[in-house]
Amino acid sequence: MTDEEFGAAYEQHKDMLYRFARRMTGSPAAAEDLVHDCFLLLWRKTACYDRERGSLRSFLIGVTRNLTMKRLCKERTFDELEDDAAICAPVDPAGRERGEMVEQAIAGLPPMQRETLVLAEYEEMSLEEISQATGAELAAVKSRLHRARENLRRSLAPLLETKGTAYGT
Amino acid sequence: MEHDDDPKLSELLQEWHVSGAPHSLDARISKLRRSWWSTLLTGSIRVPIPVSVMIAALLLAMAGALLHQRMTVPAAPAIVPSISLIEFRPVTDLNVRVIPSHEAN
Repeated sequence: MTDEEFGAAYEQHKDMLYRFARRMTGSPAAAEDLVHDCFLLLWRKTACYDRERGSLRSFLIGVTRNLTMKRLCKERTFDELEDDAAICAPVDPAGRERGEMVEQAIAGLPPMQRETLVLAEYEEMSLEEISQATGAELAAVKSRLHRARENLRRSLAPLLETKGTAYGT
Repeated sequence: MEHDDDPKLSELLQEWHVSGAPHSLDARISKLRRSWWSTLLTGSIRVPIPVSVMIAALLLAMAGALLHQRMTVPAAPAIVPSISLIEFRPVTDLNVRVIPSHEAN
């Protein structure tokens, strides 16, 4: 990869990777570090990326995702990476912006559900792309997305109700 | 659509906005892309203050010692011209002749 190609790849994907890392970690500083480390890897070990195995976007998301998971495991801010039985409590809407409540609800999801939801809802990736980027089976991706949405309907029920639809259990 | 099976939830989720990558990241990445010779010419390193003070003190001490050494070196003795007798050939055939003073004039 030439310097020009690297520069173009950085300009094209930096915002998407930053948003993903920011939504996964909840920290702007951590997100910046993770995206930096992702491009550092691309710069130093260009051979890691094989064009025939998928798009650069999927590769970079995969690298950022792995770095993020490593960091989350180190910080241990959750019970289990993949917790099928996790039930998120409704967020407290008192004195909060709607965006903040959504952030809190997503932060409460188990990491595997969170990454699937973030990639699907915010980065508009297809299930196949998510499967490729995360290295998970397609069925697992579908299941995580379904559970993530169920959890969010429950935790964001107070907000969804005010929009005219009753959710939650 | 596979992602839009709950439009109301999706709409609500879009209320959480996250801005793009900050400029500080651009600066870090451009630093990363500099070539090694460019880094060598324009790069900088961080040195903790105690270490830099120690290095400065060491340099000062070395300079002082060098100066002191130069000042205390004894002056070189004056060079006395010497005469070599290597090519001196003593006279082998000596014929003494006495010249009286009135003949010399």
